[in-house]
Amino acid sequence: MRRSPRSLTVSVAALTAAGALVLTACNGATDDADALDVWIMEGTNPDASDFFDDVAADFEEQTGAEVNVEFVPWADAHDRFVTGMAGDELPDVAEVGTTWTPEFAETGAMADLTDRIDDPDDYVPELIEAAEVEDGIYGVPWHAAVRSIIYRTDIFEDLDLDEPQDWDELRAAAIAIDESEAWEETAFPVPGHATHSISAFIWGAGGDFATENPDGSWDIHIDSAESQEGLQYLADLALEDDVSTTGATTWMETDILDNFNDENVAMTVQGGWTIPAILEDNPDLEGRIGAFMIPGPDGEPSPSFVGGSHLGVFEGADQDLSWEFIELLTEEEYSVRWSEESGYFPPNREQLTQFEESDDDLVAPFAQQMSQAGAVYPVTPAWGDVEGDEVFPRMMQDILSEDATVAEATSTAAEELDEFLNQDD
Amino acid sequence: MPSASVQRRRVGHRPARRRGSLHSPARPWLLLAPGLIIIALLLWYPLGRVVWLSFQDYDLGNIRSGETDYIGLDNYTELLSDSFLWTTALPNTAVFAAVAVVGTVVVGTLVALLLNACGWLWRTVIITAILVAWAMPAVTGTYVWIWVFDVDQGIVRQLLDGLRTGIEAWGPQWLRDSAATSDYLAADGYNWFRERLPFYAIVTLNIVHNGFPFVAITVFAGLTTIPRELHEAAMIDGANAWQRFWDVTVPTLRPVFAVVTIMSTIWDFKVFAQVYLMPGGSGSNRDVLNFGVWSYVESFAQNQYGYGAAIAVVLTVLLLLITLVYLRTLFAEEKL
Repeated sequence: MRRSPRSLTVSVAALTAAGALVLTACNGATDDADALDVWIMEGTNPDASDFFDDVAADFEEQTGAEVNVEFVPWADAHDRFVTGMAGDELPDVAEVGTTWTPEFAETGAMADLTDRIDDPDDYVPELIEAAEVEDGIYGVPWHAAVRSIIYRTDIFEDLDLDEPQDWDELRAAAIAIDESEAWEETAFPVPGHATHSISAFIWGAGGDFATENPDGSWDIHIDSAESQEGLQYLADLALEDDVSTTGATTWMETDILDNFNDENVAMTVQGGWTIPAILEDNPDLEGRIGAFMIPGPDGEPSPSFVGGSHLGVFEGADQDLSWEFIELLTEEEYSVRWSEESGYFPPNREQLTQFEESDDDLVAPFAQQMSQAGAVYPVTPAWGDVEGDEVFPRMMQDILSEDATVAEATSTAAEELDEFLNQDD
Repeated sequence: MPSASVQRRRVGHRPARRRGSLHSPARPWLLLAPGLIIIALLLWYPLGRVVWLSFQDYDLGNIRSGETDYIGLDNYTELLSDSFLWTTALPNTAVFAAVAVVGTVVVGTLVALLLNACGWLWRTVIITAILVAWAMPAVTGTYVWIWVFDVDQGIVRQLLDGLRTGIEAWGPQWLRDSAATSDYLAADGYNWFRERLPFYAIVTLNIVHNGFPFVAITVFAGLTTIPRELHEAAMIDGANAWQRFWDVTVPTLRPVFAVVTIMSTIWDFKVFAQVYLMPGGSGSNRDVLNFGVWSYVESFAQNQYGYGAAIAVVLTVLLLLITLVYLRTLFAEEKL
C-alpha cells in the first residue's frame, strides 16, 4: 500500500503542469503574423457571414493576408473591448459603436487615422464629429442610421389622417388614434428607457444636452427652458393625453419594436434598419407601414440621433494592412451592398444621395432625416459613463411615473451630467 | 479517521525520522496540494486581485496601461459614508435575502414533507416537476417572470382586468369603490417594475421558485434518514403531527437546515441576473439596486473598477460575518 513520496511529488507536479498547460492554452488566440483579426458586431446584417466571406476573399487576393472575422453581439461588445484591453487581446480592426470611439481612443488603444482619411467632409458631419478626440480622428464612419417615425398606414387611412408635419399635428394624430373605436392598443408610446427615441424632441424644441467650451469645460443645457419644453411635450402626450401606456414607462427600444410587431402600437419613433426585421417578424404588416421624418414644433424636422459604427484600428496592428482592409470595406461596392443588406446607410454623403432619392417609402424618409436633420450627443470620453449610469432613462422614468415634474427631473439630470462632464479626472 | 494534525502529533513523538519517510510533516500538504492549487488559482488569486483593486483608483486607462494608482482606504471611506449604501443598497440586499431565504426554506421544507408522505409514483412526478424549476437558468426564468408581470400583455394584467370587470359588475358598493381607487386595478394597468416593493416581490417569487427545489430535495434526503422508531415513539407518547415535526424532525435535521440556510443566504445575498435583467434593474431605477448590481454597474458601466471592487469586498465580508455568526450559534446550541 505504500507509495513512494517521490511518485506523489511527481503526480502533483504533473497536475500542476497540466493546469499550467490549460491556462496557457487559453491565451493562445489566433496570432498569425499575416492574418488580420477583425471584430464585427453581430446582428446588424442578417447575412454578415456571406458578406465577409466575399470581403475576405477579395482582401486575400489583394494583399495575400488572411482575415479572421469574429462576430461579437452588441450587448457584450463593450465588455469584450474592455477585457481585450486588460488582456492584450484586442483585434487589429474593429467595428466600434460611435459613442464608444472617444472613450476607447482616450485610453490610447486606438490609432489616430487623421492623416489617412482623404477628406473628412466626404462624410456626414455628425459621424466624423463623433470620432474626434482633441485633434485626431480615431474612426472611419462605416455605416449609420437615424430614427424617424414609423406608423401603420392602414390605421391612418381608416381615420383619414395625413403624415404630421409639426408637433400639433403629431399630437392630434396620436389623440385621434387613441380615441378611435377601431384601435384599442397604444397610439404613440413615450418610452422611459429609450433615450435615442426621445432625444429628437429635446433637440427639436431647440434644447440640447451639453455643449463644450473652448477651454474643454461643458455647459449643461438639459434643464434649459427649450429642453424642458420638448420633454414637457412628451410628458403631456403620455400623462395628459394618455396616448402612451403605463408599461412604456420602463420600455426600451426593443420593447417598442416587439409591441409594434405584435400590432400593439400604431405609431412610434424607430430606426430605419428595423424595417426588414419587422417585416420578417410579422409579414402581415407588409404594405401597412409607412415612415416620416420626426416633425419639429414648427414644421422643420426635429434633429434625430445619428448613430452608427466607426471602423477603428487598434494598437499593435499592422497599420497599413489594417487601413487597406478599411478602404476595401468603405469603398462604394461593399459600402452600398452592406447598406442594402442591413438597412443601414452609408456614411459617405455621395453614397447616401441614392438612398435619399429612393422610391422606397420606407427608405427615403430615413435617409432624408439623416442628411437634413441629424444630431449627436456630446462627444466626450465621459459619455460612456453617462450612458452607463442611465442618467436620462432615470430622468424620463421619473417624469413618466410622476415621481418628478419635468423641471425637477431635468435639474437632477443636469446636476448628474455636470458631475460626469466637468469633474476633474 | 485520524485527522492530519493528530497523525502529525503522533509522528512527532518518534525519536528518529528517516529521510524521505512517508510520515514527513510535508505529507499532508503534499496530499492537499492538488486541491489547494486549484482553489488558489480559481478562488484566492481572483479574490486577492479584487481586494488589491479595491485600494486603487482604477479606470479604463489603468486597464490599458496596467499602471496602478494606490489610494489607500479612499474607496472604502467613500463607500461607507455614502447614504445610498445605508438607505438603499444594504436594505435591498439584506432584507430581500432574509425574506427570500425564509421563503425558500419554508416552501422547500413543505415540499419535502409532501414528498415524504407520497407514494413512489407521486414522488417521481413531483420531483420531476420541481427539477424543471431548478434546472431553469436564471436568465430564462427572469424573462418568464417579466412576461408574467408585463404591464400590457402579462397574465397578471389579464387576471386583474378580469377581477376589475367582475367587481364592477357584481361587487358590493364598498368593493367597487376601493377597486376604483386601487393602483393595481387601474384600467391602464399597473407598472410592477417602478416601485421597490412590487419589484422585489417579483424578484422574491423568482428566487424562491428557482431555489426551493434544492431545499426540498436536500431536506427530503434528510427526512429519509430519520429512524422510523423516533416518530413511532413520539406517536405512542401522544405527540401530534405538529409536535412531531418540531420535536423530532427539526432537531434531527438541524445540520441539514444549517446547510440549506447558509447556501440560500449566500445565493440570495449575491443575486444579480434576477435584478439586473428586470426593467429598470440595470441602473435607471436607483431605488432597486442591490450590492451585486451596484458593484457591476460601478465597475463595468462606470469603469470605476476600484470602487466596484470595494463594494464587492464589503459584500464578501458581510457574507463571511453572517455565515460565521450563524455557524457559531448553531454549534453552540448543538453542544447544549
